[in-house]
Amino acid sequence: MWKYIIKRLFSLLPVLLGITLLVFTLLHLIPGDPAVVLLGERATPEQIEAFRQQLGLNQPLPLQYITFIGRLIRFDFGSSIISGIPIAEEIKIRWPATFELSVSAMLIAVVLGVPAGIMAAVRKNSWLDNLLMSGSLIGVSLPVYWLGLLLIYLFAVNWQLLPPSGRISVESAFNFQAITGFYLLDSLLKLDLKMFANVISHLILPALTLGTIPLAIIARITRSAMLETLSQDYIRTARAKGVTGRSIVVKHALKNAFLPIITTIGLQFGTLLSGAILTETIFSWPGIGSWLYEGILARDYPVVQGGVVFVSVAFVIINLLVDLSYAFFDPRIQYN
Amino acid sequence: MKLPKWRFAFLAIICTFTIIITNCSKPANNINTTNPPPSQQGVLVYGSGGPPVNLEPGNILDGNSLIVQQQIYNRLVEFKPGTTELQPGLANSWSVSKDGKTWTFKLRPGVKFHDGTDFNAEAVKFNVERWWDAKNPNGYRNAGKSYEIWQQLFGGFKGQPNSLLQNIVLVDNSTVQFVLKQPFAAFPSAIASGYFGIASPTAIKKAGANYGTPAAIAVGTGPFIFKEWRTGDRILLEKNPNYWRSGLPKTNQLVIRFITDPAARLAQLRAGQIDFTVDLAPDQNKEIEQDSNLVAVPRPSLNVGYLALNPSYKPLSDVRVRQAIAHAINKQQIVQAFWGNLGTNDAHFTAPSLNWSQSANIKPYEYNSDKAKQLLAQAGYPNGFDLELWYMPVSRPYFPTPKPIAEAFAADLNAVGIRVKLNTKDWAAYLEDRRNPPGFQAYMLGWTADYGDPDNFYYPHFGPGGTTDLGNWKNDKVIQLLNQARQTGEQSARGKLYAQVDEILHQETVRLPIVHSQPLLAKRKNIEGWVPSPLGSENFEAVEKK
Repeated sequence: MWKYIIKRLFSLLPVLLGITLLVFTLLHLIPGDPAVVLLGERATPEQIEAFRQQLGLNQPLPLQYITFIGRLIRFDFGSSIISGIPIAEEIKIRWPATFELSVSAMLIAVVLGVPAGIMAAVRKNSWLDNLLMSGSLIGVSLPVYWLGLLLIYLFAVNWQLLPPSGRISVESAFNFQAITGFYLLDSLLKLDLKMFANVISHLILPALTLGTIPLAIIARITRSAMLETLSQDYIRTARAKGVTGRSIVVKHALKNAFLPIITTIGLQFGTLLSGAILTETIFSWPGIGSWLYEGILARDYPVVQGGVVFVSVAFVIINLLVDLSYAFFDPRIQYN
Repeated sequence: MKLPKWRFAFLAIICTFTIIITNCSKPANNINTTNPPPSQQGVLVYGSGGPPVNLEPGNILDGNSLIVQQQIYNRLVEFKPGTTELQPGLANSWSVSKDGKTWTFKLRPGVKFHDGTDFNAEAVKFNVERWWDAKNPNGYRNAGKSYEIWQQLFGGFKGQPNSLLQNIVLVDNSTVQFVLKQPFAAFPSAIASGYFGIASPTAIKKAGANYGTPAAIAVGTGPFIFKEWRTGDRILLEKNPNYWRSGLPKTNQLVIRFITDPAARLAQLRAGQIDFTVDLAPDQNKEIEQDSNLVAVPRPSLNVGYLALNPSYKPLSDVRVRQAIAHAINKQQIVQAFWGNLGTNDAHFTAPSLNWSQSANIKPYEYNSDKAKQLLAQAGYPNGFDLELWYMPVSRPYFPTPKPIAEAFAADLNAVGIRVKLNTKDWAAYLEDRRNPPGFQAYMLGWTADYGDPDNFYYPHFGPGGTTDLGNWKNDKVIQLLNQARQTGEQSARGKLYAQVDEILHQETVRLPIVHSQPLLAKRKNIEGWVPSPLGSENFEAVEKK
């Protein structure tokens, strides 16, 4: 087991190297450089050149890449070209926001998606199946930007039931001091239930927006995995032996259908961590996604490189955990 | 029951991971947070178009940073609310020597920075030297700070041949002199621009290169005291109880939320999450009007959106062709369609508020396709020609929806036989490539002034080095008039010089003015005292929630 984990962690190194090379190359292939974006419409060519020199952007690309990798080995992500804030510090501040949002979105997706998939499979070709699968098809197809704004207009502007943005209300912002950066956890640690409710109310709309696509995908995967399992011989045998329908679904079918579902959940969770860009932008959520978005627009190379490396590592770790969880759900799998 | 080894290992990893994520993420940006405010009354929330880059004066150009800086810092000279007229700021009065080269500023006594240190002539010198002197140890240029705006507005840094400033002299504790190499009549206006807030030298020395970042602090003399910057989310400011303008600010706490998306900004205003906001698109005006809780607030225009016609390309090298384009585009109708009552078209490159510098003798090129065809025929292009027209990939206050506007240009130009090919590219590349010879054939761009003087419109666009995007097109008379105006003290005399520039540029039509737009802002009905500045940012000392 440990050997397997260490082996997997070591295999992370070439993956990371590949990712950094890819991101570095792609970023530099995009026309335009940060000096121009930063200095704007009014800058003269001389000023741009002087600024490029100051930022080290006029050095040959391989040298810039080697410098970047050299720093990365020392866990130094560098600083933002635009703001001068160290990347590591920014990640440290922002990732709890993204993680909290992603976990909430995933929770919504799993809690609603898995039962929906099971119900659709059990009542295959019924009106319920058609309804759930049509709903999931719409869910997959909905543009996140549109859905986010729609939810804001309905729940925040028209009905004024939920706040439209941010992690915490304005009134609370002056008094609330984060401990871990995970606001839900922080409010519980402070035994402040009012604050907990405040944080939850801010989480609902962005989590719903972010969770819609994974919800739909999980529901569809669950349905197909369950259908496949339910058609197996041992299920027929169980039925013949007189095992009740509920027991068949939960104990026998679901457990065996769980591997593709857990794989999908893992992949979707990894995607959420990196793919919350639009949701975070619409809901002014101070996470990694909105930071990357600003970094890309501003050609802030260190921000994009550092952000992508962070997200990649998170993605790989989540996938490692998913792989390890296979053994948890299926005793036949051993990592020896 | 004994857990199998691998299950134990898996659970151990999950637990370790959980412990790591809950312990390793203590935010580092929560500073100055030990004293919660006494009251939650009077919290004013401003919806900014994005996060600031930095709160360090003199080192940034973007509007999102400047609006926050306006709340924290004062400048020597400031602008009267809603205008470009000067009023005393940290300087009580100012005067210029007879030769127009030495500007003397008398400083306001008894003013203190938020950290309790004194504001005085030493503090002014300290701030100016770090902007101007590239070798100043407090400039932290090795940490990536550039202070480019100083170079742009005042010619260059210390020791450079084009530097307008020759010396800064401490006359006494409350008097400071700027000695210039040549007269510059707009100097007080330029030093009043939002970039040059005076910061506490003690705070800068203490924070070093981190000054003005979320990890540090920002200390000025302004109406609000910096409390905390939550990265990507908001900035919290509190009332300066010792503010030198008595009775101000009118609100106890000011929160600046960063909301990048205009639709999300308006939605939050409607939901009552923010009290006032900026940078909305003209087409959002209807939505504002339909909501009885909101009021649209147009910002006075101090900008120009123009179509650049590059004379280094063959058909455009003929002035008649450029004038034909000016006649072919129905500017009035386009402005009406895309800006409604938030835009005007006139014949001038400078904004309408600078009418003292405009010529009364010129009128906009009327929309007349027959005349356009006639001019094209005279120039030898009776069947028109192919034109590559570049439109911006981003929205700006002067061109909020560049692509449809460019399509409207193309439709009008096609009607007179000019076959337009529309192009665009990434914003950074757009800005860069327009200046790479030979530049674009025709392209859209604009300008929002840094200070309310015609010099800030004309010099960067038609002065030395300002026309690289037009194939280095040059008009000696224009440059001579611009330099002469810089050296002339009397506004009426300067006005006459600029009027001549106006007439020449109208005739030449290398940058065809399309619009002077009023950027759309909005507030909730119960917000009073907000007077937007034509310069793009103002302080909120008089804003209050009723």
